[in-house]
Amino acid sequence: MLLTRYHGEASRREGAGHGVEVGIAVPFLASPPPAVVRGEASLDEMLLGAVPHDVHALLAETSLRPLGGAGPSRVYVGSETCERLLPDRKAIHSWAAAARGSRVALSLVLPPLSRDGLAKAEEAVRALEGVEGLEVVAGDWGTVHRLRSHHPGLVIVLGRLTHKMLRDPRLAEYFDSPQAPAPARSALCRSGELAPGFRALMERYGIGRREVDPFLQPLEADEWEGRSEMLSVHFPYLFVTMGRACLLGSMHREPAGKFVPSGSCRSECRKYAVEFRVPVPGGNGAEKDLLNLGNAYFLAVPSSVSGRILERISSSRRVDRIVVTVPPGTTEAGASLPSPQRIRPWPSAAEERAER
Amino acid sequence: MKLTVPVSHPDEVEMLAANGAGEFFCGYVPPEWLERYGGAFWLNRRGPVVGNLLQRDEVSLLAERSHAFGIPVHVTFNAPYYTPEQQDILLPVIGRLARESGIDGVVVSDVGFLSALRSALPELSVHASSVMATLNPGMIDFLEELGVRRVIFPRSLGVADIAALCRSASGRMETEAFVLNEGCVFEEGYCMTTHRSAGALCVQLPGVPHRVLPLGGDRSEFLAGEEGERARELMGAFKDWVWFQNGCGNSMSPAGIPNGPCGLCALFDLVRTGVTSLKISGRGTSSFRKLVSLQMVRVILDLVERGASREAAAVKAVALRNTPKFCESRYMCYYREEAS
Repeated sequence: MLLTRYHGEASRREGAGHGVEVGIAVPFLASPPPAVVRGEASLDEMLLGAVPHDVHALLAETSLRPLGGAGPSRVYVGSETCERLLPDRKAIHSWAAAARGSRVALSLVLPPLSRDGLAKAEEAVRALEGVEGLEVVAGDWGTVHRLRSHHPGLVIVLGRLTHKMLRDPRLAEYFDSPQAPAPARSALCRSGELAPGFRALMERYGIGRREVDPFLQPLEADEWEGRSEMLSVHFPYLFVTMGRACLLGSMHREPAGKFVPSGSCRSECRKYAVEFRVPVPGGNGAEKDLLNLGNAYFLAVPSSVSGRILERISSSRRVDRIVVTVPPGTTEAGASLPSPQRIRPWPSAAEERAER
Repeated sequence: MKLTVPVSHPDEVEMLAANGAGEFFCGYVPPEWLERYGGAFWLNRRGPVVGNLLQRDEVSLLAERSHAFGIPVHVTFNAPYYTPEQQDILLPVIGRLARESGIDGVVVSDVGFLSALRSALPELSVHASSVMATLNPGMIDFLEELGVRRVIFPRSLGVADIAALCRSASGRMETEAFVLNEGCVFEEGYCMTTHRSAGALCVQLPGVPHRVLPLGGDRSEFLAGEEGERARELMGAFKDWVWFQNGCGNSMSPAGIPNGPCGLCALFDLVRTGVTSLKISGRGTSSFRKLVSLQMVRVILDLVERGASREAAAVKAVALRNTPKFCESRYMCYYREEAS
């Protein structure tokens, strides 16, 4: 089903962004922009001016051109990697109230959860129960099991962190190399999810949707189409890795307490990011910019990759949703605020020395 | 309390058994796997060859020798996932290992493969690898329903979390926690990178160009201010932490003591969590490192089991390591949640 501001309820498969539902994820905001929750803003309108220029350029290149006119019909709240960003009770109630009066549905996103995190997540689910169109995106099978046991009617989606496949950005583009043995190429371009054991789990837990990354390597056709569940594809960031010990969360801790998984933080991820320029092996000097956001690392996929995936989506029977993640640095007020200055080009070596 | 010890050759069995090994785990990569996948897709968490047995006869001999000491053997099939084709290859391999080579069970990470394995070989003991990232009691329930006999906790869990999950698992399945060697900066079960060809990403990161970016505001002001100083300090500490977690530049100290992640000081508390086994990592390391690692854990565990206090055990552990500056940094510790 599609809900767009300009096209209303269009039939599926008119084209990418017009035949799929668009979700917008705001993992670093305490609350999503009100205009989005009310269903009053298109993706483009929401992001223009609300995200830094360079981020907007990235989104434009990877997502906005084909999707810009689409109005998000679903808002993803919560972080898929950090349970410290689990929404508190006040935020949950405010979203629930906003969502009840809106045509925009809510997805509560849960990261891999500790025992305390699981208890908080259950509290959030209870608070949201009854909200029309609610779904919960789970980041681990323990959460799936607990939620299914306690909430039989809940719509549970498997988050992309549970989609076990290598995505190492240093190597992923070589995974499909003709020089590799064919069985190895195949194994690196698909998961184990079409095997009978995994199928049995999907059926047992009543999972009807799985989220996937914008993989750098081209996935085998079966990985897209050979499933019974529907797929949601994330843009523009490819999840690479995460730790429970947070890099930025350690910024204000004493040395001995840095990088302790259970340590406290000041939500530094809402104020800072770290970029790493990682060399590509055998890449003749080629490099990839890895983005550390809180306790996780992502890669903004190039337009060649997003273009290939969007083309696949336009004819896919299984992909019916695109999830666009709004990066940190975006304002909660949405489109009304001027864009903050943020990233400038990488400094030269001389500038780096001067900065130190 | 059993000590779960890595073994990579039948000749290591007698030495490790004589020094207190309670259980063994090993890797096996059959020739047909290497023929099909080369080094591109690792069958388990070690490289395609290093640390693994490559002939089934070797596994049979290892199991026979271990059983002579009453020590069970589990074989690791703990890649993050296996494709349907790979599962079709591995299920018969595991069946033969169980029926003909006498192994006691396997360690797995892929939940779908676990499900298939339980259907194909319902009597076989299965341990849920740390790569399955069991972080909450829901996962204990999930694994119990799938017939898992033991859960191996990930390295990121603190002692209090381990204690809580042990209570949850009590009477339902065995539990295992890391005590020595081999760290992981990231959460292993959610790390989608590979160590092959390019090496570990975490090791690489502190050495590549990087910059902390303020999200909003001016970067020059940020760099010149107190927060900029904290950011620089953070990245320096990150470099240190990664170094400690990855064996301190050399997996052995000049005195022949294993470097790298360590939980010896926490043994007093770990014993009280109710965890049923303690794991020493390092299938891919030398026989000497395996032996010294086992001896170190054995010394401190014996001390604790004879009634030593927390402080006495910790003092002995630090003395045994004989690298006080490393211990003082705390970055080599598995369990340091109280430091935060």
